[in-house]
Amino acid sequence: MTDLEVSRAWIVDPASDREGPGEIVVRDGILEALTWLSGADATGVTADGVVIAPGFTDLHSHLREPGNEDAETVATGLAAAGHGGFTTVCAMPNTTPALDEPGVLATIRGAAAASGSPVTLLAIGAVTAGRAGDRLAALGELADAGVVGFSDDGSPVRSATILRAALAYAGALGLPIIDHPEDSSLTEGAEAHDGFISTVLGLHGWPVAAEAAAVGRDLAVLGDVVRDEPSARLHLTHLSTGEALDLVRRARSAGLPVTCDVTPHHLALTDEWVAGARRWAWDASGDPWADDALVASPFATTTRVNPPLRAPEDAAACLAALLDGTADAIATDHAPHTDVDKAVEYGLAANGISGIETALGLVLAAVDAGHLPLLRAVRALTIGPARVLGPRAPRSAGFEIGAPADLVVFDRSDRWTVTADSLLSKGKNSPLLGMALAGRVLFTIAGGRLAYEEPGV
Amino acid sequence: MSLTVDPGADAVEAMVPSVDVAPETQPVGWRHRHLLDVDGLSTSDLELVMRTTDAMREVLARPIAKVPALRGRQVTILFYEASTRTRVSFEVAAKNLSADVVNIAAATSSVTKGESLVDTVRTVEALGAHMLVMRHSVSGAPYLAAETFGGSVLNGGDGWHAHPTQALLDLYTMRERLGGSVAGRKIVILGDLLHSRVARSNIWTLTAAGADLWLCGPATLVRGFEAWAGRGAAAGRRFHVTTDVDEALRDADVVMALRIQRERMASGLLPSMREYAARYGLTRARLARAKPGALVMHPGPMNEGVEIAAEVAAGAQSVITEQVTNGVAVRMALLYLLAGTHGTDLAAGA
Repeated sequence: MTDLEVSRAWIVDPASDREGPGEIVVRDGILEALTWLSGADATGVTADGVVIAPGFTDLHSHLREPGNEDAETVATGLAAAGHGGFTTVCAMPNTTPALDEPGVLATIRGAAAASGSPVTLLAIGAVTAGRAGDRLAALGELADAGVVGFSDDGSPVRSATILRAALAYAGALGLPIIDHPEDSSLTEGAEAHDGFISTVLGLHGWPVAAEAAAVGRDLAVLGDVVRDEPSARLHLTHLSTGEALDLVRRARSAGLPVTCDVTPHHLALTDEWVAGARRWAWDASGDPWADDALVASPFATTTRVNPPLRAPEDAAACLAALLDGTADAIATDHAPHTDVDKAVEYGLAANGISGIETALGLVLAAVDAGHLPLLRAVRALTIGPARVLGPRAPRSAGFEIGAPADLVVFDRSDRWTVTADSLLSKGKNSPLLGMALAGRVLFTIAGGRLAYEEPGV
Repeated sequence: MSLTVDPGADAVEAMVPSVDVAPETQPVGWRHRHLLDVDGLSTSDLELVMRTTDAMREVLARPIAKVPALRGRQVTILFYEASTRTRVSFEVAAKNLSADVVNIAAATSSVTKGESLVDTVRTVEALGAHMLVMRHSVSGAPYLAAETFGGSVLNGGDGWHAHPTQALLDLYTMRERLGGSVAGRKIVILGDLLHSRVARSNIWTLTAAGADLWLCGPATLVRGFEAWAGRGAAAGRRFHVTTDVDEALRDADVVMALRIQRERMASGLLPSMREYAARYGLTRARLARAKPGALVMHPGPMNEGVEIAAEVAAGAQSVITEQVTNGVAVRMALLYLLAGTHGTDLAAGA
């Protein structure tokens, strides 16, 4: 088991809403002590150096096994998670076959055990059989087998009638429906956010209304369901537009049981990247031609993702939603793909960004730029997602003295360059390739064991 | 991708090559390895293309319209979309420069067997291509080809995105007919802007050349352009967007009609071809709102009786066949200029 002592680091503890200088002791995998330092002991310890946080929880990743092991396996996905600082990963069920019955769950659990990774793998079951949208999957059996929620992610739950049934049925099981909100009638052939950039590049627009319309529908259905089944819960994943987040904000203030997450790429990147800009959302104007900001070739398929990279004001809305608590969590939507699916024409390329290893770097970019307090960012990566998972979360996502250590140690003063070789995921489809990110992960400890150790540290 | 320091027209004069000899034997003031879009062309680049096109026009006027400039070079024309006029225009242009021409119509090649674009480009290169002229139905596809191909890629039209040689031949044709400049002239592009690569490329070149540019079409087919017009092309080169055809045509110097495709009805963007013809078709009556003698243009192929009346297309104001002739000269100029700078500019986007 793991022994680790880190003295004079910056500890971020969202459970106690506290951050400051401190030290930790892990012995035989157990977090034996966490000591806050003060006075002379704390001198010189700042938030800009080595940081210790509880291990991160990702509500949304695609591990591709079974069915597309060329893109990712459970083993490589969990290794990548450790590199990203994540100790708990929720796997989406859009595998082949889909995770719509317990047999598939046994397969991926077997793969996780065989990988030897200490990262906790949680599974999300499909809402509908085969994710086809027609009839409910084996929700009760999946719940008994231990899934943490249901989603047809990759697709929305198309039928409002099915969604209504699923919310009620899953609600009674104590589990959330996790919807990917997209009105597909508005996104047929869509390639990039519908706006100035897509107009100039001649790409099929992906309108804001497609997300907002779906969120509006989902909330209306939820409102209908909770009258009869008050335990129904809806989680909206990867919200990317100010309009959709405003709808959620209003629904929450009206008391509806809805939660949501935003992704690192939607808060830090914009559709300017499709045109070849490589600047952060908060530095973007939306017109990279006027700003002479085009530094890469346009149409890089690494920028193609669903929902699409949006306008700077949408990215700002994602940050604002984290700040005011409308967004509960940052989820990566880690979507590894092979070159076969990505080294093709933009309009033919698969949607998705391999993002679980770059999530922390993107979030820290927002922190460094002063747009997101560090404590708030860590909260959205730890207790935020744990609360979305509710009782099925494996732990509180805070520091637990006397329990197996579950934490990440990263150095904000140390930058690392994203390269195909530096990513442990099989998916090298990152628009950040070649860029330097702050916050190199030094150690990730999951369940008392090393999930990642930076070579040479 | 951005506008570069402009040495001015006089400096360009000195850079215009002698097109009778191979481009690599003389300094050519052209720094782009590929021609993928026109957004990165500076005004001096445009000037150089225009002057070089003049030289090619002179070649075309000779009894034997052929120079040896690209002898020994292989130009591969890879078209993933049906086209006659553009493909043949490139072929004629390349042959007039004595290049060897390989034609690949993707519908009849291994592409239909599922070969990826990247593999096809590698194969074309292995077969000896120095320059690749490419048309594709997906926006941005030539950028992918340019990442792989060791020579120069010339975009012959990609999706809705760009059609650089069309915009350059349009600019050439207008300048020639309008006394050498389009600056301050009211130029109207009429029709299906949304799906038009011709319109997008013309926005960049015509605003760079200082034209008073107007885009006009039904609301469903000008969607999104208002935001572009408001920001302007690059650093604030504004243009106008309207659904009001009378306002657009009033006192226009040039009217360019765009093709309307039948699939726009199926996708719910237009009620019918008949209604489009009645409301936006370029008829003689409508053309009368423009300046007397205003130029009539069309990138082809035309639906006569829909976006343009047959009598207007064939009328005295029409320069549509001149566009075709100038297309050969412009494509000769671009093949020549790109051949001269082969490999000197590594930025795929430039």
